[in-house]
Amino acid sequence: MKSAVTTVVSAADAAGRFPSMSDFESVKGSFDRAKARLEAAEKLASCLDKFTNLAVDAVYQNGSYEQANKDKCVRDIHHYLRLINYCLVTGGTGPLDEWGISGMREIIRIQLLPTAAYIEAFIYIRDEIKINDVMSQQAETEFKGLLDYLINALA
Amino acid sequence: MLDAFSRTVVSADAKGAAIGSEELADLRKYVADANKRIDATLAITQNVSCIAADAVAGMVCENTGLTQPGGHCYPTRRMAACLRDGEIILRYVSYALLAGDPSVLEDRCLNGLKETYLALGVPTSNAIRAVEIMKIATVAIMTETNTGRKMFKGINSGSGAQCKDIAAEAASYFDLVIEALC
Repeated sequence: MKSAVTTVVSAADAAGRFPSMSDFESVKGSFDRAKARLEAAEKLASCLDKFTNLAVDAVYQNGSYEQANKDKCVRDIHHYLRLINYCLVTGGTGPLDEWGISGMREIIRIQLLPTAAYIEAFIYIRDEIKINDVMSQQAETEFKGLLDYLINALA
Repeated sequence: MLDAFSRTVVSADAKGAAIGSEELADLRKYVADANKRIDATLAITQNVSCIAADAVAGMVCENTGLTQPGGHCYPTRRMAACLRDGEIILRYVSYALLAGDPSVLEDRCLNGLKETYLALGVPTSNAIRAVEIMKIATVAIMTETNTGRKMFKGINSGSGAQCKDIAAEAASYFDLVIEALC
């Protein structure tokens, strides 16, 4: 799984050399950002259900989507937020890419899922929910960056 | 390949749960100890040839038949292969130490190592002895308990005593190597 450390180690191994000073610098750099990431992950984990329900309720209350799909939508939004939680921990997009995005288009096409509803829900989380109430500014930036990444992948 | 972070992710995903405060406490410690971890890794990378050469020399001293005609370290070509392998093992231990997870060592170095040695006729008991000496030497350099001069220059000077936990972690990676060869 890709993260700052594994990328450095893979590159060093491919060249058959020991980790160099510049490798240490880049590992160090990723650790400096880790505080905000880990805070975002922690706060997101505690608000996972709340965010999911708020977003799905908001999307489904205007009646433009079939209510029968609501449960599935809750399940999937919850799943994606969990993957974002993982991405915040690893410091890369590995978990989203490997477990959420690759193969996603095929599944969505076959099952005729309303991706527009998903996108709306994530945009609602990004723009409408006051994330600032639960986490700091930097943590929010990390979280929103990954939301944007996911929205772009779904669109 | 995994590191301390992705290892947590993989085990959380197996349970289908998000990563909460409990698991994050360990990762915060990993982040907080980053300087010590880098120092400990430097202790290996700055002394590779010394650690490997001492270990192979020690192995031979304990069993002088090895360098005699018919021994496993005769001629010099085979002795050189021995030194090379020592350095390779140290390299993978340094990767594992930096990542905080043994998966890179297991996947890329230990998997099939014993079978390779058996096929090539390398006596694993001697290889294990060399790894044991490397373990002792590495821990001594990391904790600065080696006699004589200070062996490495870390980011935090005089960090020897503080590297104790991480030296224990490094020792556990050498133990994995020994286990794989048994």
